Amino acid sequence: MFFLLLLHLVIGIAIVAAGKMLGRRAFLVAAIAPLVTLLWAAAKAPGVLDGDPVTESFAWIPQLGIDIDMRLDAFALLMVAVISGIGLLICIYSMGYFSHDKPGLARLAGVLVLFAGAMLGVVLSDQLIALFIFWELTSVTSYLLIGNDDTNPRARAASMQAIFITGAGGLVLLAGLIIIGQAGGTYRMSELLADPPTGGAVNAGIVLVLIGAFTKSAQAPFSSWLPAAMVAPTPVSAYLHSATMVKAGVYLVARLAPMFAMTGSWRLVVMVIGASTMSIGGLRALRQTDLKLLLAYGTVSQLGFMMLLLGVGEYHIAEAGLVLILAHAAFKAALFMVVGIIDHETGTRDITELHGFGPSWRLVQVVAVVSAASMAGIPPLFGFVAKEKALDGYLEHGDFAGATAVLVVIVLASILTFAYSARFVLGVFGAFGDVDRPVVSRTAHAPGAVFVGPSVVLAVATIVFGIVPGLLDDLVEGATTALYPASEPKALHLFAGFNTALLLSVVIIVCGVLLTVLRTRVTGVQRRASEVIRPIPSGEQGYLGVLRGISAVANRVTATVQNGSLPIYIAIIILTVTLVPAAAFATEIGPLPQWVEEPAHVVLVAVMVAAALGASIVRHRIAAALMLGAVGYAMAGLYVARGAPDLALTQFSIETLSTVLFVLVLRFLPRSWRHRAPSIAAPMRIAVAAAVGVGIFIFALSAGNARSSVDEPSMSEVMVEQSLPKGKGHNVVNVILVDFRGWDTMGEITVLLVAAIGAVSLARPGRRRSDDHAPVFEEILDAGDEPALPEPLR
Amino acid sequence: MNALIPLPIIVPLLGASLCVIAARARWIQRIVSLSALTCNMIVAITLFVRVDDRDMVVMQAGGWPVPLGITLAVDRLSAVMLVVSSLMLLAVMVYAIGQKAEESRYAAFNPVYLVLAAGVSASFITGDLFNLFVAFEMMLVASYVLLTLGGRPDQVRAGMSYVVISLIASTFFVTALAVIYAATGTVNMAQLAERMPELPPGVATGFSLLLILVFGIKAGLFPLFFWLPDSYPTASGAITAVFAGLLTKVGVYAIIRTQTLMFPPDARQGTLLLVLAGLTMIVGVLGALAQDDLRRMLSFHIVSHIGYMIFGLALFTLAGVAGAVFYVVHHIIVKTALFLVAGLVERRSGSDRLSRVGGLVRSAPVIAVLFALPALSIAGLPPFSGFVGKFALVSAGIDSQDWLIVGVSLLVSLLTVYVMVRIWSNVFWGEPEDPAIVAWIASEESRVPRLMTASASVVVALSVALMVFAGPLYNYAERTAADLLAPQRYIESVLGSDAP
Repeated sequence: MFFLLLLHLVIGIAIVAAGKMLGRRAFLVAAIAPLVTLLWAAAKAPGVLDGDPVTESFAWIPQLGIDIDMRLDAFALLMVAVISGIGLLICIYSMGYFSHDKPGLARLAGVLVLFAGAMLGVVLSDQLIALFIFWELTSVTSYLLIGNDDTNPRARAASMQAIFITGAGGLVLLAGLIIIGQAGGTYRMSELLADPPTGGAVNAGIVLVLIGAFTKSAQAPFSSWLPAAMVAPTPVSAYLHSATMVKAGVYLVARLAPMFAMTGSWRLVVMVIGASTMSIGGLRALRQTDLKLLLAYGTVSQLGFMMLLLGVGEYHIAEAGLVLILAHAAFKAALFMVVGIIDHETGTRDITELHGFGPSWRLVQVVAVVSAASMAGIPPLFGFVAKEKALDGYLEHGDFAGATAVLVVIVLASILTFAYSARFVLGVFGAFGDVDRPVVSRTAHAPGAVFVGPSVVLAVATIVFGIVPGLLDDLVEGATTALYPASEPKALHLFAGFNTALLLSVVIIVCGVLLTVLRTRVTGVQRRASEVIRPIPSGEQGYLGVLRGISAVANRVTATVQNGSLPIYIAIIILTVTLVPAAAFATEIGPLPQWVEEPAHVVLVAVMVAAALGASIVRHRIAAALMLGAVGYAMAGLYVARGAPDLALTQFSIETLSTVLFVLVLRFLPRSWRHRAPSIAAPMRIAVAAAVGVGIFIFALSAGNARSSVDEPSMSEVMVEQSLPKGKGHNVVNVILVDFRGWDTMGEITVLLVAAIGAVSLARPGRRRSDDHAPVFEEILDAGDEPALPEPLR
Repeated sequence: MNALIPLPIIVPLLGASLCVIAARARWIQRIVSLSALTCNMIVAITLFVRVDDRDMVVMQAGGWPVPLGITLAVDRLSAVMLVVSSLMLLAVMVYAIGQKAEESRYAAFNPVYLVLAAGVSASFITGDLFNLFVAFEMMLVASYVLLTLGGRPDQVRAGMSYVVISLIASTFFVTALAVIYAATGTVNMAQLAERMPELPPGVATGFSLLLILVFGIKAGLFPLFFWLPDSYPTASGAITAVFAGLLTKVGVYAIIRTQTLMFPPDARQGTLLLVLAGLTMIVGVLGALAQDDLRRMLSFHIVSHIGYMIFGLALFTLAGVAGAVFYVVHHIIVKTALFLVAGLVERRSGSDRLSRVGGLVRSAPVIAVLFALPALSIAGLPPFSGFVGKFALVSAGIDSQDWLIVGVSLLVSLLTVYVMVRIWSNVFWGEPEDPAIVAWIASEESRVPRLMTASASVVVALSVALMVFAGPLYNYAERTAADLLAPQRYIESVLGSDAP
């Protein structure tokens, strides 16, 4: 199986890399991947259908439980058939659709193959995290495909919407999967199926998983991205957004339903969401004039239907769901292909602009009618078989709470399905053609064989599997058993006798015909109804609201937090760094120190405080520098008073040197600095300074008092002791600097060197670029509002 | 083997002095820099292999036993940081040469860059808290110079905020050293680890908080990160890349090192760190969303992802710390790659404003691919290393039942995807409208020098390699986490072997 994924990867990348070289033939190369997959699946099919799955494993990160375990069972086989079968047809169809070479075609073809590989990964993974990996890859490739026509802003917006919604769902899903995996002790589905975990966390986990699946499968209220995604080229819509990717959510729900349908609120959630999606999708499909949007909402509705069938954890019903996956793939892909053909040949797909087609279009029309009839559930077509099976499943085996309500919804929504299928057919035949609109369809070219062929193949499949559904018995029964090992699936029939299900089908068709006949009145009712429900935000508005909200919050928060004022930054930083630890230290503050040890201290401290205050008040530069010097001298005085003359000497020389340097440099600057409106008011600044001072005092006090609880000697004691015998020096400071901790000194010397280099390179006159001028300090401060952005184009 | 330990510091310093001497001969400077950084990389890899294979290596500088001298020690965490940082430093150096900007224009670039390299290595190697301060100073002073090397007013202005805030951070670091020394009588980390439990709990907690916040300024934690998004984007592409990739992570490293080694479990600040981590993630990503230019966006985004690393550490579980270590390694490489590619984008399209540029997927498909790979990774999309890191952290968080931070991290992950998609959609898709940009893209001048593309490609390739080797790397991270959570080995290696 890995070779298949690798094959898709290689072919996809090769096509993208080849770029314009291949032209339309890119799709021929692309077709190799699904073709090989189909052949491989056909070769494995007999064994798999005998209940003997093919497995392969790759240990990626075993400690985290991320292993890529692949398993081809009958359900996976069914999905592979859909993915690669439709994939192959789409590749051929694309040769007709993209009749003219245009930029980005190679990207499209390549990414399409990459998508197909990712999608295969989803259905072949036996491991939840591996499944998730491929799941996300389908989202990414879908994003790239929707936005492939990147100069179209609508395409960009739609791709963003798709990845945002499915991405959000993906993250929720990830959390859910991890919760389930941790509770079950494994991420392997085949092991979880044998022993599903339970418990409070699992109940939360399954809801998260369901949300993830709902976003992917465009369930209400997350469905808005799917209609928006119709901006993509039709082959993409047909393949990703009807036949395969959107079924990933359904697929996952189908896989997990046997384990969790009875757990927590799984079944209730699935029924409520599935039923709403099915009805809302149907209602909205009925309002569309764009054929593609009509199909998109129809897909939403059908996906809801699939959820109702595959998600409730009852194997008879699930079996119907499997049939529906196949039937839907056949008719919906064919319908999309038809829309693509119409769009391509006439330049429109709006039913008010179509006025029917000439006789050379007969084949396309037949395909449209057959496929739409299958969607509507008319015998003897494949869609009818699926719908009969579904109705029968709910009638015979729907013995859980809410099943009857769901059945009613299915019947009602199926009537809608009939109506929008009819709307599609009538649209294609020009029944809605507005006399005022220009007529293009009558004279349109009939499409070529390559263009129509794939949809004909699908229509033939729709008819054949409708008349002889028994052909699929092995596959569907095998898939059902793969999901529900204890099940005894029933064979498929076109005609299962005169039963309630058949009666309901008749009801659906009769009501559907009625709706179609009364369509003008229905439209009126719908318009009025939509005005009533307008205040309720739609999924689309919800999405836009979320985006706007994020953007507003981001701007607000950033403007508040990152206001660009250095004094405010500093205030916040120093307050945080002092007050938070001070709160902890304050709990162990210990006894207060003896305030005055020697009278000299009082004088020195007074000088220090006065000089420090002075330095922050005066405006005269040199005075400020001198006061800073005074602080340093007073500090040195404190060293003398404490009996450390060597330290004091060092301090004196440093202070003298730096004061002299200060004065030398300040000569070149104005005598005093301009008054600038401070960004923090004076009382506030004083309060901040005081708070920081108190904080540091608490640090010192509490740390100093804690010394008594540590018995070991201080480093300084050891150093003083060892200075002469080991360091061969009487001056312990010197020994420390050049010997014991010479490593530090080396670093500090480097710091000085670099600082000197930096100062020189900043200050050096005649900088190499002539447009440069060394900015003066005040200019820099005043440049507050200048954008701090390098623009080579400036 | 122990003799190798100081080399990642000494070799670049030696190189720096040679570069100062050869200030007028750029080609000599280049040979010296490249050889010094290559040598660093080889030493780092040798140490990495040896440390992982056998045991951590310890050396007392100058042969002075604890507590007289300074301890240098390389354990698994230091080793992996050394390897990754030396790789990045070398790659960025090549990029800087290719860029023909600061490196070609100023003789100071090469020596200062090498001092930066030495400072970064020294931070990872030292086992002495005061020496860590010295290492920080080397790194910081070099970064001040590199940031303002261009001398443009906006650079100097941004540089000033950066210098002022860094100096304040350094002052607090010294204050912390002073009070820690006052209470324990030592600055040797292993000795501190022994003595910390003897202190009254409130004092140990205070020290723990103090160090978190001091290093938090450097790491860019909320609410201490303001300097970062204002200063990083003003430097040239290469310099921003190395700052973004390495400097904040040195702060994170210091937090991980001191919290796991020095503090007994009851003085660890799990809850506070979780709160800080969550806020850092959110504020950072919101900041990124509010920007219009690529490098500012990416700079804010660094802040956001620092939160992830702290989240992993804050759990103080094997899975959490392993996730944090993995994330740090991932982030250094991937973020450096993104910034290097951002430099390519800017060179190719003449601007890095999202609202001005566009259509690079057609005009520069190679850059588009080079951007897409690390962008997917940083957005946490599978199967890239960002996903592995995110998975490790989220799964550790769920395991510890810290639901809130798990929720926050997932939300932030979504917003990260959104940020990356916005960049992609604006920079690579669409078409530039500004005629100046269109003319620039069409001109010869906009051609990106090969060397820049090549070195960016190497870093991107490394980020992809992280995905391929995620299994072994995560194993390594887990072994590292096991070491960190049982610091007795470290203490014994430092004090047991050479104690007087």
